[in-house]
Amino acid sequence: MAPTLIPLSRLPLATPALVREVSLSTAEAEWLRAIGVFAGQRVTVLRRAAFGGPLHLRTASGGELALDRGLAAAIRVERVIEREAEQQ
Amino acid sequence: MSADCHSSPRVPAPRKTGEEPSASREPTIVLVGRPNSGKSSLFNRVTGGEAHVGNFPGLTVDVLEASVELPELGRARLVDLPGLYTLEAPVDPDTDEGIARRFLDDIEREGGPLLVVQVADATRLALGLRLTAELVRRGLPLLVIATQDDLLRAEGRELDAPALSSALGVPVLRASARDPSTRERVLEAVSERLRTIETPARVRRDWDPDALARRVIHERDDIDARALRRRQLTARLDGVLLHPLLGPLLFVGIMAAIFSAVFLVADPVSSVLDRLVQLVGKGLTRLLGQNLLSSFLADGVLGGAGTVLAFLPQIVILTLAMELLEATGYLARGAFLVDRLLRIAGLGGRAFVPLMTAHACAVPAIAATRIMRDPRERLTTIAVLPLMTCSARIPVYGLLISTFFGERAAWIKALMFVGLYFTGITAGLVASLVVRRLAVKGRGLPLVLEMPAYRAPEAHVVARACIRAGWRFVRDVGTTILAASVVLWALLTIPPPGAPPASPGEPPRVAAVRRSVAAEIGRALEPVTSPLGFDWRINVGLIGSFGARELMVGTMGVIFGIEDAEDDATPLAQRVREARRPDGTRAYSPASGLALMAFFVFACQCMSTVAAIRRETRSWRWPAFVLGYTYSIAYLAALVTYQVAHKLGLG
Repeated sequence: MAPTLIPLSRLPLATPALVREVSLSTAEAEWLRAIGVFAGQRVTVLRRAAFGGPLHLRTASGGELALDRGLAAAIRVERVIEREAEQQ
Repeated sequence: MSADCHSSPRVPAPRKTGEEPSASREPTIVLVGRPNSGKSSLFNRVTGGEAHVGNFPGLTVDVLEASVELPELGRARLVDLPGLYTLEAPVDPDTDEGIARRFLDDIEREGGPLLVVQVADATRLALGLRLTAELVRRGLPLLVIATQDDLLRAEGRELDAPALSSALGVPVLRASARDPSTRERVLEAVSERLRTIETPARVRRDWDPDALARRVIHERDDIDARALRRRQLTARLDGVLLHPLLGPLLFVGIMAAIFSAVFLVADPVSSVLDRLVQLVGKGLTRLLGQNLLSSFLADGVLGGAGTVLAFLPQIVILTLAMELLEATGYLARGAFLVDRLLRIAGLGGRAFVPLMTAHACAVPAIAATRIMRDPRERLTTIAVLPLMTCSARIPVYGLLISTFFGERAAWIKALMFVGLYFTGITAGLVASLVVRRLAVKGRGLPLVLEMPAYRAPEAHVVARACIRAGWRFVRDVGTTILAASVVLWALLTIPPPGAPPASPGEPPRVAAVRRSVAAEIGRALEPVTSPLGFDWRINVGLIGSFGARELMVGTMGVIFGIEDAEDDATPLAQRVREARRPDGTRAYSPASGLALMAFFVFACQCMSTVAAIRRETRSWRWPAFVLGYTYSIAYLAALVTYQVAHKLGLG
């Protein structure tokens, strides 16, 4: 079964997911990689700011960042299956 | 603590082969690291505290430098670069990151003896190692210092430095900036590394940051409930401070609490200081008699500079609050909370830090805009920063509130104070909306901002910042404000040729002031300012405060000090309140006071700010624009305020 990809902006809270695609300009994608968000990284959305504000994201590398919701819509993630999530 | 420097058997290759290092040149040691890595704290610890600590990207605004004594090698130059995430992704050269990278390029081209010390936060090691990988790829001679070792241990974890060192092929030192012995250990490690810098060796590149970090960070055996709670500290604090409902409420509450504390806590102390200044003036006059010298000392020096000095407590309390917000990591939370709101104004969450910093002083805030990656948002932020209520406005607001609303309850006065702050913020947001619509159009870059872990502020760092701010204020009062007060005193004492005669029944001293050069100038402006409720005395104050707004208070102090024949210790506020026109009616009403406050909310009366804008934008257009629009709005706002207040019966 092919994995279902959803935009990071629509990922439910507290649900671990793997970043699969970053559909952004090279410059923007490279910048995101440097700060800790790139394909293959595991991320969790901790909360969303009110009125369409930024997401509060935690990465498996240990970083936390505020990420614009529009930007998050361009990042596609795959939910990590439950058993794997428990191990985290 | 057993945090030693572990030198790996493999030492990185020399930076440039075939080039002899000049023995005569001092080595340069460059501290690099991600923002929030604890780099500036470490720099502070090693240098004994010359630098400013930023727990938030961007507060290390300039490239800081210090001279250090290395064991056996002698003096070396230690440089603290602004934080940077990457050496490789494209970056705007005007940002902090761009500045840091330009510095690295330049120093490498210079070719002197060089050591790059990467400071990596041990509690977020994997992130730091991404930068290590880039530094290694670049072939820079490297030493890694894993900071926050004490915090890592408090979380029940431990870094295996020898393992990390051998995996990287680079020496690794564990350190914590809170530990006083860190200074010596860092200097020793640097010295050791510099001695072996020419030894050929191979740095390893075959590692993955995440996997390596997992491998070298161990769980400690003595892990207890406290350590586990400690790991959850940031998450639990965020649960409250970023709560969907509670978060924004707390945010506004914290801001209001700070601004009202500036008034409520500091005002009683200021009153005492003010009274003291007046008493000394009175004593001087008694001692010397009524003459030119006693007038110069009591009215010119004490009345001018002394009155401004009474506002020292406000400056210190505000600095304390700003430092605490910054050092705890709350500023990033503020950016997260207000990003959406700032987007409406055409800015973004990153603008929050400079906007907040500007409440202390616009000059460092302008430098702090270098954390903003979007050039349009950066320019807009610079243009609206002067509208934020900087600490130099506090003396003016303090004087005006106690003059015209002195009898009101303390909480009403505090509320007015907070109101003035929020008026400034609102004005800034509206101005930025207009600027973004008309002058610097285009979509801004979306927010990507690291949220650092909450940290307990280091008392000595915060205390040092407060002392520095207080000292700077005292120094300014002792130099520019004193000089301006003296000039003003002279202009108020010397009558111009052909001065009008004194009105019958007017006290001689009041008449003398009314006929002075300064009064002539002030009166010449009255046609323009009388619709605002300002008389010549306020006009003189406004001219005096063109360069620095707190001079308004000094000017008033000098004018009313000379005018007042009684030479008693009447507070300045009372003197202003009871000021009379030549015909004996009161010179000012609460309406004039409100209008003057409105003027000060908007006008960019600060030459240091103008110079900083010039420096940052490298053009005269922006400073001219800022002066033009702030003074226009200031005039209009004062006009509307006075006329409306007058109609409402406050005249």
